[in-house]
Formats: sequence, structure tokens, C-alpha cells
Amino acid sequence: MTVPSILSLFLAIIVTLWISPVVSSPDYHEQLFLEPLPKSSLLASFNFRGNTSQQSFDNQHFRYFPRALGQILQHAHAKEVHLRFTTGRWDADSWGSRPWNGSKEGGTGVELWAWIDAPNDEEAFAKWITLTQSLSGLFCASMNFVDSTRTTRPVASFEPMGNHMGPNSLHLLHGTLPGEVVCTENLTPFLKLLPCKGKTGISTLFDGHKLFDAAWQSMSVDVQPICSAEGDCQVQIEQTVDMVLDIERSKRSRDDPIPRPLPNDQLVCDTSKPYNSEDTCYPLEKAADKAWSLNEVFGRTLNGICPLADSNEQSVCLRVPHEKSIFTTQGASEIKHDDGFTRCFSLPHSEPFDLSIPEQEVHTQVPIDEPVLHAERTIVGHGQERGGMRIIFGNPSDTAAVDFIYFESLPWFLRPYIHTLQATITGKDGVRREIPASDIVTDTYYRPAIDRERGTQLELALSVPAASTVTLTYDFEKAVLRYTEYPPDANRGFNVAPAVIRVLDGADAHPIYIRTTSLLLPLPTPDFSMPYNVIILTSTVIALAFGTIFNILVRRVVSAEEAALLNSQTFKARLVGKLVAIRDRFVKKETKVE
Amino acid sequence: MAVDRRKVAVFSGAFVLRLLLVCLFPSLPDLLTGRVEVSTPVNSFKRLQEGLFLYIRNVSPYDGGVYHQAPLLLPLFALLPDVKSSPFPTAILYFLVDLLNAHALSTISESGQSVKSRLHSAMRKHIRWDGVSIAAWFLFNPFTIATCLARSTSVFTTTGILYAVSNAVEGNSINAILALGFASYLSLYPALLFLPLVLLCYDQQSQTSKTPSYAVYFLQHAAILLGSVGGLLGLSSIITGNLWEFISATYGFHLLVPDLTPNVGLWWYFFIEMFDSFREFFIGVFWLHLAAYVGGLTARMRSQPLFIITSLLGVFAVFKPYPSISDASLYFALLPLYRHLFPLMRYTFFAVAALLYSSLLGPAFYHLWIYAGSGNANFFYAITLVWSLGLSILLADSIFAALRDEWEQANPESQGQEVKQI
Repeated sequence: MTVPSILSLFLAIIVTLWISPVVSSPDYHEQLFLEPLPKSSLLASFNFRGNTSQQSFDNQHFRYFPRALGQILQHAHAKEVHLRFTTGRWDADSWGSRPWNGSKEGGTGVELWAWIDAPNDEEAFAKWITLTQSLSGLFCASMNFVDSTRTTRPVASFEPMGNHMGPNSLHLLHGTLPGEVVCTENLTPFLKLLPCKGKTGISTLFDGHKLFDAAWQSMSVDVQPICSAEGDCQVQIEQTVDMVLDIERSKRSRDDPIPRPLPNDQLVCDTSKPYNSEDTCYPLEKAADKAWSLNEVFGRTLNGICPLADSNEQSVCLRVPHEKSIFTTQGASEIKHDDGFTRCFSLPHSEPFDLSIPEQEVHTQVPIDEPVLHAERTIVGHGQERGGMRIIFGNPSDTAAVDFIYFESLPWFLRPYIHTLQATITGKDGVRREIPASDIVTDTYYRPAIDRERGTQLELALSVPAASTVTLTYDFEKAVLRYTEYPPDANRGFNVAPAVIRVLDGADAHPIYIRTTSLLLPLPTPDFSMPYNVIILTSTVIALAFGTIFNILVRRVVSAEEAALLNSQTFKARLVGKLVAIRDRFVKKETKVE
Repeated sequence: MAVDRRKVAVFSGAFVLRLLLVCLFPSLPDLLTGRVEVSTPVNSFKRLQEGLFLYIRNVSPYDGGVYHQAPLLLPLFALLPDVKSSPFPTAILYFLVDLLNAHALSTISESGQSVKSRLHSAMRKHIRWDGVSIAAWFLFNPFTIATCLARSTSVFTTTGILYAVSNAVEGNSINAILALGFASYLSLYPALLFLPLVLLCYDQQSQTSKTPSYAVYFLQHAAILLGSVGGLLGLSSIITGNLWEFISATYGFHLLVPDLTPNVGLWWYFFIEMFDSFREFFIGVFWLHLAAYVGGLTARMRSQPLFIITSLLGVFAVFKPYPSISDASLYFALLPLYRHLFPLMRYTFFAVAALLYSSLLGPAFYHLWIYAGSGNANFFYAITLVWSLGLSILLADSIFAALRDEWEQANPESQGQEVKQI
């Protein structure tokens, strides 16, 4: 080895040692947050976060970042990607505001949006198709069906979460599949993206049977660049799983999942009911919350901590009043936070961990955050020809108006008539008044659908005054499709993607998102059994008209006697007559020529 | 003058009837606008409203799947006050357009062109209705009233066609072709009437003055038609700013039939059920079929150009891609000009019964399919078949009667005898 080469090696080591702390070492965190909700529900929120420096990401040096996903993103030039798999409905009336303020949540089915680096719209769309096709394969989801009719380019509803540096021309594309059924085949690839792949750490609790049996669940994958003020960038992948389990339902054993009524002697009856007697009972809800443990609810024990995560991390947190007593397995240490409700646990390294809460009465209740806005969207009207969309926004605050962006993407076969947009407002006095839509809608972005080419995109900037409820309605018409465009279960109806609401709250850096439920749109259906019959019958009518009219047009009119005379001739005579006529014609021509 | 007083009575009666209907049943116009028998994707007033809404807000109405009507309608309707708050100005505009149409009809009738033209003179001239009766028949036809109340934009096409014909019978060939250009600009298919209309103009002009040969005359008027349509298209592209966008959204829409909303015609269900690989082929066949009648009728009935126009309008009412009852009402408006042919028709009862049957059962079966759910699409489809069959029987029968009339003219001694076609 020559001196310069040794020197350069030495320099390289020095440089590496010097740079690595600045580029902030790659790290990985995971956390489980548990919160019992009213009506014997339990919110379990899993969060996994890994960082990789932009440099090693670009050089395809993956450590905490999954290689499969990283290569797809590089290939599709996607700088920031958000992917959501959601089922069920968040019951905001009983559970309060959403976890992560709704920012880690998607509409029912699959929702994907990404910022793609491309010189123009066409190339961005081509790369978007590459991205959806690849993600479709990676996540075993039908994202390849996100075509031009299901892709929109929202203008005001989404902002990049990451820090994008440099002269990129980023294009935001957004696609939804409201009809996609999220299930275990999506969970398995999701777990494979984690560094510990569900073998150790909190991800060992994932059981498809429990996760997809939840009242509401949402899986999310977010990839975004995080840059410091100096300009060093990291690529962050954050995966979350949020679910609301029904404790009683989850505790049923898998072998015997049939719910059984309580024995009579364990029933607590409402004795104030007039019909209450020996054999008639109105059961009362128990005042105390149900007892549960991790093992019972998830069907598995938590298997140590992921060795790649920070070993001192408090990876399990629970939000119950401090006065509640909680039992954990040996080796776990509990830290109570000052807010009076939250406590976190540091887990033993390689031993299973369990946590159980016995049934007990407590005097303090965990407060439930009131959501800043209630939103509800339904289809009104009857019949398969036309209908109406009704969106109700409720502002629970007594003092402040709420400003938000309402975004919906409608399939092309739902044809909205935006000139019929009407608004009514119900104020504090409870009186319903019709107002011009422009009083509520401050800004509109509308891109109408083109048949079989793209869907409708509607973005409204709205402002709902304090303590009032605003109802927006508009009419739409349902298109009739070609019979090959209907799915096999045509009479079930077509899914309409949920609307996305982004609450604009200037002070808060984290945006608040609310999504409405997805809708089912029944379309008129033709009879699928008879394409041949229709072709034949229509053709018959056309042939009848064409045949009759041209028959009349080409024939000569003669009197009935002449016709009878012609008919009375023998076949031979008629044939001879025809031949003579033909001969005459030729002879005439010849004479003309001569 | 007695005749004028009758005309005033009929016209004001029709106006008052429409006004009464709108005042007594304020929801009737919107109800009719929503009926598939009256409003098709190419003439629906609701779609016009949506297009207008986008146009006023500087969004191109053609960059969407809803509006497929001519661009010149937009600035016209933008002048009128908002329909939701004040429906009467728009309604009265439509009433007046109907009266204009009726006036054109009475002009056509009074010219006597239907019974006596240059090359033809009917045998039963005495059996005919005067202009006022024909205008009344048009104005009090329920199909016309429904179209008018539903504010369907096909009434403007009707105006174009009727003024083309009324100018032609009066010998104003340039005005006639300009009116036809307007109708063709609005809904494309009236361009097929060009050939018989030029023949009609030629016949009328050659009676009074010396006219050039057929070819020269034909080319002159083709140039006028092209010029007028071109001028209107130019004006439209100034309005929309993008020529190709609106042409593909309007004429492309007429030609390729992408919207399969039910209507009284034969195309929609056929192309719902058609196999994808044959769709383009059959669209071509259907258009060719529609155009074939022009040649056939013109060649055989050269002596009666007005009758060719009437029959072609009947053909369009059955076989065009988006027909509505307004097309049928136009055919029914012109048919009484041939009152003298009615005694020669053979299947009148059957045709009228089929038409009445389908107009009464059509809405019922549509309700069963779409709202009650107790019937399926075949119910309404079957009714459209009966409707088309009824109309085409009427059409074929009237053509037969006209040919027989021609034969009687050639053989006056055998008037009233039984005839056959061989």
C-alpha cells in the first residue's frame, strides 16, 4: 500500500467519523399508545418511525428504510408518499377527536397521494401510474385500478409534510379506491416493511383476525424528507396502525366466537322500568370499564422490544386516570406523566410483556376532546335516475368560526349539477334559513368530469360560523354505463370516495383532517342477460322500417287488375316476358349506339 | 280580416294555455325537464343551465361531460335573468319561439306547395287544412307543449328547419339555406335536409325566373351552407376560445354517442348491450342507415321535395342518436300538410294506436324500471321499440300514399282503384 492510498483511507475514515454525527445517525422508534374509549372500546395506536440520510437513500444503502419501498420511490421519482388503508368508521360522537388529528387516517378503502418530481403533467401522471402499479404489487392491493378517472390533483387540500429542497417541480397526485377491502393480505406486506418484521417489539401484537375485526382501523405509510436548517436531509418513513377494538368482542376466544347472553343472575336490571319483573329485564350498562389485558384483547403477548429501537424508550403508553391500578409483568418500569392520565412503560428486553387492567370504579374520567367540526355526507333522493348530495357541517364551538377546505372527488358516472348548489344554515336559534352558497363558500375549485376519462374534482373553501350547522346540497344525475362497464355485482351499487376536510387552523402547525364515510351509489342497470336479444330486436325494427320504406320506393305502382293479370300468367310466360324485356333493353341500347 | 282574427285567436290561445300551465303548476317545467322522453343529453335545459353556470364563471363548459350544446346558446341565455329566481322571461322566450314556429308552418301551408308544385299536382287538392288549422294542430299538440314547457333547446333547431322550409317555398333560397345552416350548426343532423331543400328552392325559383343548371345551383347553395355554418363556427370559437374543444364536445358527441342515457330512440339500449369490439362498426352502420334515406327518397320522389323533407324529419325522429318527442312533434306538425293523402293511407289506425299505446305506457314502464324497481330496463326498451315501430309504419304508409297519388296523377282514369306494388 502506498502512502497516498493509506492517507486517503485515513482521510476517508476521519471524514466518515466527522460527518456521521452531523447527518444525525439513522434511528428507529416504535411506540404503542393505548386509550380506553367510552362504550367499552379501546384505541390502540401503533407508531413506527425510521430515518435514513438522504445520501444513503440515494446510494441505495438501506438500513431502517425498507429496500422494496425505497427502490419503488426512486424509480417513480416520488419525493413524498402517503398511503392509507382504512376500514370502519370513527364514531366522533362518542370517541371525540381523531388520533393524530386525522392526519394519519385515510378514507374507507385505500387512499394514496404523492408528490412526484416530473417536468410536466403528462410525465408526472406516467410516473404516478408506475408508482401505483408497483405499490399495488408490494401491498397486495388493487391500486393498479387507480387510473385517470380516479386520480385528481388537489389544489388546496394537501400540503407537503416534509421539507422539499432544491429546484424540484413537484406534482401532487391523489387517488382513492373506496371499494377496496382492506384485510390480512395488506397487513403482511405492511409488517415486512418494519425492521423487526413483527417478530419482536410492539408489532408482535398484530393479528389479522383482531386487527380487521376492529370497529375502525387505519394503517398508514408516510415517506417524507426531513431537512434541518443547515440543509442536511433525511428520508423518514413513518408507519402507523390505529384501531378501535370492542373490548368485549376482542376478548371472545377464537375457538368460540359466538356471543352468549349473560346468565340471568349476572344481569343488572333497570328496576325503574314499568315492565321490570322476574322474567323481563332492561339491562343496565356497568358503570365501571371492562377489565382487559393485552393478551386478551390482541390474542398475543408483546414479545420484548425491537433490538434496533432505542433500548431506553418507553414504548408502551396508556392513558387512564392515575388512580387506576394496573398490573404489568415483572421487569417493566412505569413512569407516570404529570397530566394525571398518561403513564408509560419501559419494557424488559427479551421477555414477553403483558399489561392488565382489572375492573374498578374510579372517580376521574379521561376527558374527551371535542372535534373542531362535525361532518356528514349522504346521498338523498330515490330512484336510479338522479339524486342529490347532502353535506352537513356542524361547528360545535360557541365562539369561533371554523374555516376549512372541503375536497371531494366523484366518479364520472355521477354527474353533479353544480349550479344547483344550495346552502342552508341553522344558527343558535335553531331556525333553518336558506342563504346564498357564496356566503359560506369563500373559494371554489371545480373541475368537471369527462366521461370515461376523469372524475369530478370539487374543492370548496368554507367557513362555518360559531354554533351553527351548515347544510350544502346539490343535484346529480346517474349515468347509464355500457354493460361491460358494470362489475359482476352491478345492483350492489358503486362506491363513492369519502370527502376530505382539511381544517385550516393558522396557529396549529399540524393540520386537522376529517374524512366522511364512503357512499354507495346505485346506478340504473340494463338487463345483462340479453345483449343478443337486444341486438336482434333493434335490428329487426330497423330492418322492418328500412325494408318497408325501400320496398315501397323501388317498386312500381300498378292497379290491382294489372297486378292480377301479371300474376295470372304462368311461370313460363312471366319468365319469357322478363327475358323479352331484358332483350328489348339491350336492343334499344344497341340502336342508340348505332 | 276573418282569417287574421282566427290566427290571432289560435296564437293567443296557445300562448295563454302555456302561461296558465306554468302559473297553475309551477313545478311542471322542472318535472318535464327531467323526463327522458323530452330532454336528451343534447337538448336538456338542465345541462344548459350547468353549461351557463360554468360559462358565466369563465370555466370552459366543454371541458366537462355535461354540456354538449352549441356555444351560441350560452351568450343568448346569459342575457336572460336567472331561471331559479325569475322563470318567466325564459318561459316566455320559449312561448314566442313556439309561436314563430307556428307562423312559419302556416306560411308553408298557405303556399300550397304540399298539393301543387312545379312537377306535381295532387289529385285531392280540395281535401286540405288551411294554415291556421295546421298551426293550431302544432301549437296544441301535447308533445309540442311538453317540449316548450321543458325548455328543450331543440325548439331552436325546429325553428331553423321550419324557417328554412318556409323561405324555400317563398323562393328566398338564400334565406332558406342560411336558416338550414343555423339548424345544422345547432344539431348537425339537419344538414342531411340540404339536398331536398335545394331541390325545393330550385323548383320554386325556376317557376318565376330563369335558373342556372342543377349542378351550378347546387354548388352555389352548398357554398352558402358551408359559409353560414363556417361563420357560426367562427363566432363560436370567438366565444369559447377553443374551436376543437367545442367541436369534439358537440358534434363529436352527436356522432359517437358516448352518453347512453335512455331516450325514445333505438340507439341507447343497443349501444349499452353492444360488444365493445363492434361498437364503432355499428355506430357507422347506424349513421349510414340514417343517411341512406336521403338518397332513396330524393331519387324516387323528386317531384315532391317538400314531401321528402317531411318524410326525412320522420326518419330523424325515429333513427337519430338522441331523439326526443320534440322531433316527433316536428314531424307531426308537417304531416297535416298532406291531409289529402290521408284517405290513401292503409294502416293509420294501427300506427296511431301504437303511438298512443307507447306514449301512455312509456312513462309508466320507465317508472317501473327506475323508481319502483319492479321492472327492468327491457320494459322501457320494449316501449321505445313500439314507438319506433309505430312511427316507421306511419312513415312508410305516408310514403306509399304519396307514391299512389303520383301514380293517380299519371293515370287519372284509375283514380280510387285498388293498387298494388310490383
